[in-house]
Amino acid sequence: MVNENNPGSGVATNIRVFEPHKASLPPLGPYLKEFWRRRIFAIELARFSDKAEYLGSRIGKVWLVLNPLLLAMVYYLLVAVLRSGANKGSGLETLAHILIGLFTFYFAQNCINDGAQSIVSGGRLILNQAFPLSLLPLSSIIRAFWQFVPTIPVYFIVIFIGKLFSPDANIEFITWNLLLVPFVVAGLVITSFGLALLFATMNVYFRDTGKFLTYLMRIWLYASPVLWLPSMLHGWHRAILYVNPLGPALSATSRIWVEGKTPTLAELVGCLAWALIAISFGGYIFISRERDFAVRI
Amino acid sequence: MPSDLAVRIEDLSIKYTINVDNKRTLKNAVMRASKGEKVRTRTVEAVKNLTLDVPHGAVLGIVGANGAGKSTLMRSIAGILPPTDGRVMVNGKVSTLLALGVGFNPALSGRDNIILGGLAAGLTRDEIEAKTEEIIDFAALSENFIDMPIRTYSSGMYSRVAFSVAIAMTPDILLLDEALSAGDATFKEKSFLKMRQMCDEARTIIIVSHAISSINSLCTDAIWLHKGQLIAKGKPEEITDQYLKFLNVGTLPSNLEDF
Repeated sequence: MVNENNPGSGVATNIRVFEPHKASLPPLGPYLKEFWRRRIFAIELARFSDKAEYLGSRIGKVWLVLNPLLLAMVYYLLVAVLRSGANKGSGLETLAHILIGLFTFYFAQNCINDGAQSIVSGGRLILNQAFPLSLLPLSSIIRAFWQFVPTIPVYFIVIFIGKLFSPDANIEFITWNLLLVPFVVAGLVITSFGLALLFATMNVYFRDTGKFLTYLMRIWLYASPVLWLPSMLHGWHRAILYVNPLGPALSATSRIWVEGKTPTLAELVGCLAWALIAISFGGYIFISRERDFAVRI
Repeated sequence: MPSDLAVRIEDLSIKYTINVDNKRTLKNAVMRASKGEKVRTRTVEAVKNLTLDVPHGAVLGIVGANGAGKSTLMRSIAGILPPTDGRVMVNGKVSTLLALGVGFNPALSGRDNIILGGLAAGLTRDEIEAKTEEIIDFAALSENFIDMPIRTYSSGMYSRVAFSVAIAMTPDILLLDEALSAGDATFKEKSFLKMRQMCDEARTIIIVSHAISSINSLCTDAIWLHKGQLIAKGKPEEITDQYLKFLNVGTLPSNLEDF
């Protein structure tokens, strides 16, 4: 799509020209401009989808926090039992690590799962209007982010209460390192958006992607430093942390929120690198295919 | 592009490939790959070498049997479907009503859906809020239906809201697909008046309809599409006459039998 002004008329007219392009990218400048101009639509769509889902049900929203919280308890018990022999010190650090890890992982998981469905479920909208379709997965990311934010105060509360019962627990997360949280979260948001774009495209071509994602996300959780600590890996095993797109962000999160330490350079670079890889790869796959979506949904 | 034209279509062709096997799943793809089978696809030529100019202020009616390529043509003018060959040029702001219930979430009220529909069409939050009352007035739903979830609406009410949103965008070019068949006689009359008023303001309307009387009474020009090709264009009565004859007799005009 090309926007141009008509120089002869004196009045700025808006002539758009649609020309063939299929498996290649449309002109990125106008695309991104339009994407930015319509960002309010993505935000409002997220707000209205939220409103529609939890209409008249306040408990629904509480469940979003309660679900990972209860799961964290279950995983904590599981880990505590399995490691009962080797358990040193208080278990609160382990709980804190699982809790913040699950909250963060759930954010990425919600982005990927909802984002993957966003195009297929946006059928009529897509058939009626021309707009950058990447706004639909973006809307899923915004919703997932809103659901993620309230889990942070919950983490504070759980740790605060935990410390009352276990005063020797070594959790000092109120440090200057918290200033690095926005960087890590931004990396995670961009990585998740890239992955959501990728799986949304995949879902247009293969409608059982959602089912496949259920297994994938479960394996992904076990392969991520959520139920185990990054410090448990040694030597070449540490590569597991970095080949996982969510690995660097999750281990940086644990370092900041549990140990109160500065993330390692490798973690920060890993965050940035995965954000760039995911958004370029996912973005390329999605944008180069999106004009094909209208005939496939 | 001459400034008196709203839409110029140059030698437009649109083809797309569809899978013959309707279950497009990863599981099937893996199963097929393991058996060494290929995906069976079919290429559909929805529009073939179509050239057309639509001047500002025209009301163009498009007639044709199912599968003639009418919707595909409309979607390519809206920029939803990319051309395979040729070019589409559009001069002005486009508003579309190509699929009913657009941007509409059944659990939300009519009012919320109007806002969502407006935002989807590219308006800002302030712009759509300023228009909301006008849209509600035009849709003229009885009682306080506007604040009820739209899953409680009848299909007529649903399409009245959709139509009201589409025209409230004050588009330079309005693309309507079958929208006229919805709504009762009073609403139809009202929408006709509104569309005539739009034409007086030199706005352009392109309508796809199976209702021949609507095409005849509303349009200034008409085209007839058959299997993706432009069979005839001219005054609405002539075109709809030819089309009706074709429907009754089942043959194309003798000079077009090759199609």
